[in-house]
Amino acid sequence: MTTATRDIILPAEWRDFWALTKPRVMSLVVFTALCGLLAAPGNIHPVIGFTAILCLALGAGACGALNQYFEADIDAKMARTAGRPLPAGRMDRVAALNFGIGLAAFSVGIMGVAVNWLCAGLLAFSIFFYAIVYTIWLKPNTPQNIVIGGAAGAFPPVIGWAAVTGDVTLMPVLLFAIIFLWTPPHFWSLALFMKTDYGAAGIPMLPNVKGQRITRNQIFGYSFPMAATAILPFALAETGWVYGAAAIVLNLLFLALAYRVWKNEATDAAAMKPEKQLFAFSILYLFLLFAIFAFDRMLIL
Amino acid sequence: MTPNEPSAYTAEETAIIRKRQAGRSRVMGVALVGLCILFFLITVVKVGVWG
Repeated sequence: MTTATRDIILPAEWRDFWALTKPRVMSLVVFTALCGLLAAPGNIHPVIGFTAILCLALGAGACGALNQYFEADIDAKMARTAGRPLPAGRMDRVAALNFGIGLAAFSVGIMGVAVNWLCAGLLAFSIFFYAIVYTIWLKPNTPQNIVIGGAAGAFPPVIGWAAVTGDVTLMPVLLFAIIFLWTPPHFWSLALFMKTDYGAAGIPMLPNVKGQRITRNQIFGYSFPMAATAILPFALAETGWVYGAAAIVLNLLFLALAYRVWKNEATDAAAMKPEKQLFAFSILYLFLLFAIFAFDRMLIL
Repeated sequence: MTPNEPSAYTAEETAIIRKRQAGRSRVMGVALVGLCILFFLITVVKVGVWG
């Protein structure tokens, strides 16, 4: 704790600034962006490619810092987030705001100068969309928060692709669509077994507002367009059989787990094994799908 | 943040502050050296010194 019995604030540790960037979310951003960059046609100098990924990581860090600045009061109410630097009182809020704005400006500026201004514009928009549109507007006001807000997390592979090609064509839009459609089943399966936590914080997640049955219907419903979109690159002959076979298997597994969620009637978190399995598998699914996509594209290019 | 007067800290708090400042300075130093190298390499690539 930084605050002792007297009302003083000690400077935060560097580890708290690191925690502010949400490193685990950042790793998924870096990974999907790297896959987009590796799968794009054309060449990019390794130094510029590294810079593009670094700027994306810093931009994701800025999103995490700004999100935690705006949500410090909400984070304090949830067991999962109460230990973060701001709700735990280890950091001053203004320091978090300055850190987030600084990272955002730095990452967008370097991206523009070193890579290209299309990537910088997309990065700036995704930071704005996540920190302002999602965090301030959507998340506390609508159960569709993670559906629309999912767009922010879908930008990294598009930016990675645009770093190489300098434009945005059908393939990066498909990569965007895969993550966009993956987000609802992923987050709603979490929201089902974390319902109490979200409810205590007053966040209108779908299970709290519309109930668990409608949430399960939506999870199963979103899984179909997600699966169709994930197989589309192969159907359009943009990838080889390696990705095609992997996409079919991974999506069948996803659909099978989503079906088990749909059939489950449990209201108690302890009995929500299918939901926990879908949540865990959805992370593995995205990692594998994008890794195999990049690998396959590198084989055929 | 309103900075506290140095005299407002106890010896134990001052030691914690110095330790944290040293840690942050080390990380900032490493980051700055890394950025200097990166900016140099970006410049070399953009100018095309190595063809």
